[in-house]
Amino acid sequence: MTTFQVPPDVAAVLHRFRTAELTTIGKDGTPATWPVTVVYQEDRGEFLTSTSIGFPQKAVNIERNPRVSMLFSEPRASGLGNPPAVLVQGDAVAGELTALEGVEEVWEKVYRFQPAAKWSTWGPMQWAMGRWYCARIPIRIVPTRILWWPNADFALEPREVSHVG
Amino acid sequence: MWDDLVRKLARYPSVVLTVVGADGYPYSVRCVPVPDASRKVFRMMLPGYVAAQAGPAGLLGHFHDDALWNQTNVVASGTLEPDGEAWVFRATRHIEGAGAGMSAFRQLRGGRAAAQRYLDRRGLPWPQIPWAKLHAIYARARSSGRG
Repeated sequence: MTTFQVPPDVAAVLHRFRTAELTTIGKDGTPATWPVTVVYQEDRGEFLTSTSIGFPQKAVNIERNPRVSMLFSEPRASGLGNPPAVLVQGDAVAGELTALEGVEEVWEKVYRFQPAAKWSTWGPMQWAMGRWYCARIPIRIVPTRILWWPNADFALEPREVSHVG
Repeated sequence: MWDDLVRKLARYPSVVLTVVGADGYPYSVRCVPVPDASRKVFRMMLPGYVAAQAGPAGLLGHFHDDALWNQTNVVASGTLEPDGEAWVFRATRHIEGAGAGMSAFRQLRGGRAAAQRYLDRRGLPWPQIPWAKLHAIYARARSSGRG
């Protein structure tokens, strides 16, 4: 059960942006940022994403250092007019390898937004790529702080969602 | 490396700069890095509220189209240093992700090899992907009408 409430236009960003820029911290302390598709589980106040075992570095980093952030700053195709940018900082847990269980919501969001994702899980590509691409490591993120910039104007100091973390 | 990174970052009108704050959490903002060829650094202005400090930093430029396809991205690692009232990012390495032409083939091949290593290190068998369930999720997602 979540203990915080995000403003409606922030919630819209968390649900409708196609990607977020997820940062994990490497062994030498250097941040590494990659775009990912993230599900905002509003009722739990948590976020869920995943990575393929073919690209496990995010999970390896999280096992070493759970502190992560996600910036939602690419509004393309969201259908939102002049949306805010949102930064979620939090503690992540990388789960056990799964073939599907526990990441169904992530696949549903990917398929909803990316019709061509079908090609990697059908026909010849299913065997060439699908098996390793679909073997996933779930990544669950509990937010500790949520900041947002109205109109995605980074020149101004961000606002903070209260009672997070 | 420098020329290559300048060319790749120039594809993006803005990029994501990430630093690690004093609290240990990453902190990202959008910015427009300006290459300084003489010093081989990217110079940028950061808002005063960003608690930037000299140290490890990263840049990400990425793109996807309206169908979340034709993705491109470039990730640079390096350091951030104060430079008067501005900051400079000095890249030490960079890699390209999805949609990078021949690089994408190498990544696919590398992905499979990395997956095998992941399983071998943990003594795990290849998981059996429940394709029918995955296809049912696709059908449900595509028929939901929610974009």
